[in-house]
Amino acid sequence: MSELTQELKAKIITQLNLEDLTVDDLDDHTPLFGDGLGLDSIDALELIVMLDKSYGIKLSDPKEGRKVFETVQTMADFIEANRK
Amino acid sequence: MIPTAPIAITGMGAISAIGNHVTENFRSLVASKHGIGPITQLDTYHRGRLLVGEIPIGNAELYDRLHLSPEVACTRSTLLALLAAKEAMEAAAFQPGDGYRTGLISATTVGGMDATEQYYDDYLISEKHQPFIQTHPCGYAAEQMGRYLGISDFVTTISTACSSAANAIMLGARMIRAGLLDRVLVGGTDCLSRFTINGFNSLMIYTDSHCRPFDENRNGLNLGEAAAYLVLEAAEVAKRRGKSPIAYLTGYGNANDAFHQTASSDNGEGAYLAMRKALETARLNPTDIDYVNAHGTATPNNDLAEGNALLRIYGSASALPAFSSTKAFTGHTLAAAGAIEAVFSLLALQHQVVFPNLNFSQPIASLGIIPQTELREKKIAHVLSNSFGFGGNCSTLLFSKDHD
Amino acid sequence: MIKPIYIHGSGCISIQPTFEAGYFFDALTSYAQNPVPALDPDYKAFIPALQLRRMNKSMRMALFASRLAMQEAGITAVDAVITGSGLGCLRDSERFVEHLRAEEGSSLNPTPFIQSTHNMAAAALALSLGCKGYNMTYVNNANSFESALLDSLIYLAEHPTETVLLGGVDELGERTPQFWDIAGYLKHEGAEIPTPLDDRTPGEIAAEGAIFFIASQQQSYQTLGKVLAVETRLEVDNPPAFIAEFLQRNGVSTDALDAVMLGCNGDARYDGIYRTLGDTLFADLPQVAFKHALGEYDTVVAAALFLVLGIFQHQHIPQTLLLNEVSSRTLQRILIYTQRRGQNHSVILVEK
Repeated sequence: MSELTQELKAKIITQLNLEDLTVDDLDDHTPLFGDGLGLDSIDALELIVMLDKSYGIKLSDPKEGRKVFETVQTMADFIEANRK
Repeated sequence: MIPTAPIAITGMGAISAIGNHVTENFRSLVASKHGIGPITQLDTYHRGRLLVGEIPIGNAELYDRLHLSPEVACTRSTLLALLAAKEAMEAAAFQPGDGYRTGLISATTVGGMDATEQYYDDYLISEKHQPFIQTHPCGYAAEQMGRYLGISDFVTTISTACSSAANAIMLGARMIRAGLLDRVLVGGTDCLSRFTINGFNSLMIYTDSHCRPFDENRNGLNLGEAAAYLVLEAAEVAKRRGKSPIAYLTGYGNANDAFHQTASSDNGEGAYLAMRKALETARLNPTDIDYVNAHGTATPNNDLAEGNALLRIYGSASALPAFSSTKAFTGHTLAAAGAIEAVFSLLALQHQVVFPNLNFSQPIASLGIIPQTELREKKIAHVLSNSFGFGGNCSTLLFSKDHD
Repeated sequence: MIKPIYIHGSGCISIQPTFEAGYFFDALTSYAQNPVPALDPDYKAFIPALQLRRMNKSMRMALFASRLAMQEAGITAVDAVITGSGLGCLRDSERFVEHLRAEEGSSLNPTPFIQSTHNMAAAALALSLGCKGYNMTYVNNANSFESALLDSLIYLAEHPTETVLLGGVDELGERTPQFWDIAGYLKHEGAEIPTPLDDRTPGEIAAEGAIFFIASQQQSYQTLGKVLAVETRLEVDNPPAFIAEFLQRNGVSTDALDAVMLGCNGDARYDGIYRTLGDTLFADLPQVAFKHALGEYDTVVAAALFLVLGIFQHQHIPQTLLLNEVSSRTLQRILIYTQRRGQNHSVILVEK
């Protein structure tokens, strides 16, 4: 597990109030939405805020988020590619 | 079962971005003159960025028009409400205390938040604005209104997000039919605030320009501010005092989408159920409806859900009656929406016209439904008015020229 | 045209352990603070973690109290949800205001905004129960619950075969109680639970809670009681006359009452009316208080109804709540009268 994915998992847990989960519980490739973790559209918006505040990346279209937030790994890849 | 005595509408009042009273609103609607423009009054980061349906009258002037002493702490929502309520009462030509049990049912979501957000830190360090502390709760506005207007038999406030005023109108009718009131002033009010502008912006459903209801390329709403009130009376009471009704409230329904906190289900279940209930209470068929004043906020989600719900009721795009959203005129006025749009629905009935859905060019691909884009004269006997809010709260009102 | 409604189940979360099975006010938890937060049950017993994580206190309390009521009534679904709340989801409102004041212009978290919407507790109930029926929220200061109750009476008269989940909920804020303090609402001297009801000191003890009921027009062997009528009035010149007229309109004399619940809360500025009533209209009745044990908030009157149902069940008024020495042989018909800060008067008539 890379440092970024570790960091991301911790942030996801705090930002989305997933108090019962630990970083070890979250797999890099588990789908975050739908059948995996079961997050919803409000969580997607919160992740967009996190992306901006923690990594300086602004997503202007919420639909863009769908691909980016598929898994922890896709998030990490996106951040690596776009962070300032 | 409660008897279904006819509910007459004997007065209406409205103030919005397109007019300070009902007639002015009507003139703007027929001239396709919208009220969406830059923020000029609120001190917010979004001034110069986001467009709103602002009422171009400052609070000081509102106080003057109402002959209110500057010592009285009165929030903008209440100031607007008082103007609209007065207009409605004058139109209905009655005095409280005339022997008929008269109530007030108001609706708001902002309440006194416009003051709270401004004075949030100031309250702790200076006495100057502290009289506004008591104005924060949603219920305070109606209490202030009741005192000012002299209505005391029954006063309450509903707050169910964007369907609030429609629910207030519905409760008024139900209380009359239940024999609890003879007459009731019903409606809603919400002013613009940093709270709501930032709130909808944080949900990424605030458009960066002018909203485009039911358009394939819609990308969000504009907020607006407004207040509107109707006077409902038992038809018998109106007749007894020689007041000729504007129209009748013949149907209403409230249902819950029970899908998500803010988003509507794609198939518009709550909207569908609310419209069905309104038709059922009116004992009308979908084909009896001549005009639908849609909720049509121009968010990707609402218009899709509402469109789907309409298709479920009517079966096909070609079977839909004329429909339009007037939110491109006024903006989304939140708790006032159900009331200002009730006024517009009543104007449609009075003048036998369908108001245009502005800023439309391409139908939503998956729906293929096309709103009325030009002002259109039409024989209208029945109008359906939709208001759908957060928390899946869906309400529909049905207004008719006559009752059966 | 309005008929009485029957209550088949109730649930209460408050600053007393009212959610504990078997608790009926034989002992009161004491506090020496103001405000006083409600005791938290194990919310996870009724609410899955994925839903719970986003729920503010109003939503959790409402859901839990509702589940208790449904459990007692032996049902798993309702047809309508009707709620009252004086201030809605206050803490999230505060959070969003604080965020926007500090950071307007940068990305703001949407969750507190969504959660601040006043009807979110009713919405959470609809979602959790999959209830697509009528859903209403009254936000009407200290008559919020009474409006919800009145709507339930009307709704069930319109839909006599249906079942309503009816309730009241209010939560404390963090900044807002400071505003209340500035406005002079809060008690300082004598700020205790149980609150001394001795007319000495001004102010209220601010608290929170959620109280929910299952109501219908069908009586069953499980019925806990029935609500016959409710009336509210913002301002009342003559409270004894207001109450007497209400009783007369409902064909009941004070002789026919077995007890009265009074909304005295220890605020010496406004408790006088209860003393007057206690010395005159209600002199021969057992007088029962509830706010000295549960604190004050806009919808606490719902807890008075909860208590009345408990009194019917136990045929006994807890000593901790009884204000005078009058006892009653049977407890079948009880009146609730309350007001707050000299306004928002209400009367509710309840029968076994």
